[in-house]
Amino acid sequence: MVMKKLLKNPISMVGLVILLMFVLVAIFAPWIAPTPERYKDDPYRIPRYGWKTNPTPPSKEHPMGLTQGQYDIFYGLVWGTRTAFKVGLIVTSISCLTGIVIGSVSAYIGGRFDEILMRFVDIFMSFPFLVAAIVLTTILGRGLDKIMLAMILFRWTGYARLIRGNVLQVKEDEYIMAARAGGVSHAWILVRHVLPNTIFPVLIQASMNMGSIVVSAATLSFLGLGAPEGYADWGQMISFSRNWLLGSPGNPLEYWYTVVYPGLAIVLFVLSWNLIGDAFRDIMDPKIQA
Amino acid sequence: MLSYIARRLMFLPIVLLGVTLLVFFAMSFLSPYQLVSAYIKSPEELKNQNLDDLVHKYGLDQPMPVQYVNWMKNVLRGDLGYSVSANMYVTEALLTRLPATLELALFAIIPVILGGVWLGTVAAKNYNKPLDHITRVFAIVGWSLPDFVFGLIMLMVFYGVLGWFPPGRLSVWADNVILSGDFVQYTGMHVIDSILNRRWDILWDAVRHLIAPTLTLAYLWWAYLLRITRSSMLDVLNKDYVRTARAKGLPERLVMTRHVRRNAMIPVATVAGSMVLGLLGGVVIVETVFDFKGVGLLTATGAQQLDYTLILGTTLFFGALLVITNLVVDVLYAVLDPRVRLE
Repeated sequence: MVMKKLLKNPISMVGLVILLMFVLVAIFAPWIAPTPERYKDDPYRIPRYGWKTNPTPPSKEHPMGLTQGQYDIFYGLVWGTRTAFKVGLIVTSISCLTGIVIGSVSAYIGGRFDEILMRFVDIFMSFPFLVAAIVLTTILGRGLDKIMLAMILFRWTGYARLIRGNVLQVKEDEYIMAARAGGVSHAWILVRHVLPNTIFPVLIQASMNMGSIVVSAATLSFLGLGAPEGYADWGQMISFSRNWLLGSPGNPLEYWYTVVYPGLAIVLFVLSWNLIGDAFRDIMDPKIQA
Repeated sequence: MLSYIARRLMFLPIVLLGVTLLVFFAMSFLSPYQLVSAYIKSPEELKNQNLDDLVHKYGLDQPMPVQYVNWMKNVLRGDLGYSVSANMYVTEALLTRLPATLELALFAIIPVILGGVWLGTVAAKNYNKPLDHITRVFAIVGWSLPDFVFGLIMLMVFYGVLGWFPPGRLSVWADNVILSGDFVQYTGMHVIDSILNRRWDILWDAVRHLIAPTLTLAYLWWAYLLRITRSSMLDVLNKDYVRTARAKGLPERLVMTRHVRRNAMIPVATVAGSMVLGLLGGVVIVETVFDFKGVGLLTATGAQQLDYTLILGTTLFFGALLVITNLVVDVLYAVLDPRVRLE
């Protein structure tokens, strides 16, 4: 039913089409941007065509040009799509799972335990994510895996709080009492009766967060805390463009391709998630429909 | 009201203690050798002495609780160690960089709140009309444009092509004037200082450098605030007391300002807390993009050079700042909504 409404809504349709495009690019990356023979063992490394620092404008062989250090922009973007999905999916699934387990158990047990756990969540939530991620990557060292760890650490709390609220509402319902009276164990009640009635909004929220997770990862890469140089990653491609923004005297837009293409990739990716998310919220919120 | 503030103030030291514990916990992941620079009294110490001696001298080989007490003594004295990347004491670096960030934040926050609330009101009043849809598209696009991409494009267009808004805080000539003896730096915030010194040319130069970073900080929050104001206004518009106000013949303008907007502001005030959080993160990026020498750029360069001392120092500083702004937001909340105070 929800899917049908999503397909009818023109806004979410645009979002779905863009997203589908990215999914296809990620799946067919080896065919869209074949890895040159000498890089075969590590396809996520962007091929370099020379050692000059100045970017090279788009040409027939390199449709989007070569960025600083002669890294192929088109190749980087295509394989970067895989990186984006990888980061998004890993962070979303682990943080969502952690949040669901901790949040639902905390709400189901309730009392002092719940109180302490939620204060703990408060501390995590009151810290600016970016600053926290900077601290973590400084201490743990840089790298895409460290960025993901930092994001998981600071993302699960949101899901925990969301599901906690839902569980608190459901837990006093009659069917739960009935199950209790029937002698069903707590763990079984939680898994079979409470979660199926509370998990849906959390899963939606989580999938809608994919866009913002990819932006956070790209931001950290942009600051130079992410993947090693040359790894196919959108944030890094944008940080490459920083030195070439101003072009040369007389031709200020000389190196436009170094920032425009990677920027467009990130914006479109996030836009697609947000378009779907926005339509979704309206569909799910009966108050606004009235 | 006063008792509410007093109650909240009583918790302040406890929360601040929690922040220091958290930072100390993060520090415990580092080896004593990495931590030494957080304790030394002058940079010369690092050159002339054996690291093992220094570790012993500052008690870094002692048990954790003892280390915590030692560290807290330093922190309370305002001594956060020596930063290698900034080449000065962390406290000193923070204090010299703070005015720039404050200036940026102040310039961003006022247009953000006024603009966002205004746009949201317009959208709610024109619910489901073209204006509503336009603001909606604006919001979604705003949401989807990462700030560093937006900032770089601003820089490319407004500096590279048009030459209007250069990066940095001041032009070179203005910097020279500021550093010369004639110009008194009262606050370190160039806009205020130049007014106090009656140097209008410097005022113009400072404002010119502020426009692009401020806009970059602001547009994302416009999008956010606009959506929240809109939905909360729509909520309130359906309330019985609004219908009553209209029924008794109040002019629409008064209904809007006195009955609708006042109540619609409550959820907006809640968001203000997370907005401050977002601004702190945004400042790191915006300052990096525009080479605006504030605390954010300091943090970013510190992180790139793995300057532990500096990062831990700024974290402590950000943490304390946050706790205090959260308090202010809560008090503001209580002013707006009397129900909060009574609970």
